[in-house]
Amino acid sequence: MKRVCYKAGILLVLLVTLVGCSLPGLAGTSKDTIKIGSLVQSESEIMAEMLAIMIERETDAKTDLVTKLGSSIVQHQGMERGDIDISSTRYTGTDISGALGMDPIKDPEKALKTVKREFDEQFNQTWAETYGFENSYSIAVTKEFAEENDIEKISDLEPYAKDLNFGVDNAWVNREGDGYDGFKETYFDFGNVYPMNLGLVYQAAANGDMDAVLAYSTDGRIKEYDLKVLKDDKRFFPPYDASPVINNEVLQKYPEIKEITKRIGNEITTEEMQELNHQADVKLINPRKVAKKFLEKNNYFKDAEKGGD
Amino acid sequence: MSILQDFLNYVGANSGYIMTQFFRHFLMAAYGVLFAAIISIPLGIFIAKYGRLSSWVLALGSIIQTIPALGAMAVIMIVMGLGTNTAIVTLALYSILPITQNTYVGMKDVDKTVIEAGYASGMTKFQLLRMVELPLAVSVIMAGLRTALVIGIGIVAIGAFIGAGGLGAIIVTGTNATDGTAIILAGAIPTALMAIIADFVLGWIERLLQPGNMKAL
Repeated sequence: MKRVCYKAGILLVLLVTLVGCSLPGLAGTSKDTIKIGSLVQSESEIMAEMLAIMIERETDAKTDLVTKLGSSIVQHQGMERGDIDISSTRYTGTDISGALGMDPIKDPEKALKTVKREFDEQFNQTWAETYGFENSYSIAVTKEFAEENDIEKISDLEPYAKDLNFGVDNAWVNREGDGYDGFKETYFDFGNVYPMNLGLVYQAAANGDMDAVLAYSTDGRIKEYDLKVLKDDKRFFPPYDASPVINNEVLQKYPEIKEITKRIGNEITTEEMQELNHQADVKLINPRKVAKKFLEKNNYFKDAEKGGD
Repeated sequence: MSILQDFLNYVGANSGYIMTQFFRHFLMAAYGVLFAAIISIPLGIFIAKYGRLSSWVLALGSIIQTIPALGAMAVIMIVMGLGTNTAIVTLALYSILPITQNTYVGMKDVDKTVIEAGYASGMTKFQLLRMVELPLAVSVIMAGLRTALVIGIGIVAIGAFIGAGGLGAIIVTGTNATDGTAIILAGAIPTALMAIIADFVLGWIERLLQPGNMKAL
């Protein structure tokens, strides 16, 4: 009986050590791996893959992606708990009202400064340089309609608005602040408003069921369905500039990551991100390939060989 | 036809990625069942020896089994956080019942006269267990592992929602893409194949371990 107890004891110790450290074959269970969290949107996964490729190239760290997270809040909580070390995409507007619980800030630069300061102070995290694109709400119409009536900005729509069908995603209509109520106050009413699933919005605009739709500015389907995004001339929508957010501890351990975020920073325009999303969502190319192709095309690897830019 | 074409294109272009996720998926399922086995086989032996506990333990296992996997995973995520560990622990919980139950049944089904014969020949309790009872019960225990692994492969697919990756992540990617049916299939078909192959291989081992076939080894 003693031997049984002895063996059971060994087994227990083995189990605890196994749970405590890494499981062979699964990088995410190891302590030395940099875990990059990305949202369910392709854009977020593409940026996570770019960071992963660059980090694996420039440092001796391994990376693992924690993919398909539901929202920025999930990313934030994951970072607070240490489940992830880097969030691949965080948006100024989202986190000012989300993680920070502040009122929306309309000025993009002020918003960026605020999140940089607050994330460092409150959470010991670095809000890095913006990638250069923003994924904000915007109003889109078909290119045909825009050209016929010479429409560039949202205000240009006002004379036609009474006769227009406006397709929006369900979540936006009832949003406080930058939802439809706020929109009406700043701009105008549309004749008919049709709330629907976001996935249907773009198609509805393309086949003429809707005249104007609420779109996300980097969505690849804007390109696919040949829509035109109108300029928010009264600056109603808060800025949603995208940046990676990194835990300061990881940055101390791997200072090279700071260089990497600087190199990718301010390089990707909203149109370029639309194109990358288009490749992933419509042409069904794997996010990692999209990321790799982009980095190769823009000579990030060659620069690295020469020893930085 | 065009879906089939898209599917073949996607699989052709991303075979490396699909293999990586396949491997990751399988490892998560295998680790979950392994950890469950480390707990459940001794537990099954224990309740077979102390019969009074058995109904309680098996009832508890059944209760766990009735909780929807997505809900259980969400609750475990609150404690364990995001990533592969949570998926592995969830699946281990779901594997406890089939493995414990089969170990229990396997041990109970061992012919009492054989045990008595062993006992009479001077074997200690531990020797009896190791040399008589376990070898006779092992094929039934294997059947439990087999059930657990097949269920587990399905549960790990849900792990995509808590950041665990695996083939489930490919399926989710497909649901978000415009006309992503091809990608959904590229995640779903390998998942189904994995379950079928696991069932087949473990079934084969199970038959091999049946007391009558042991000599063949």
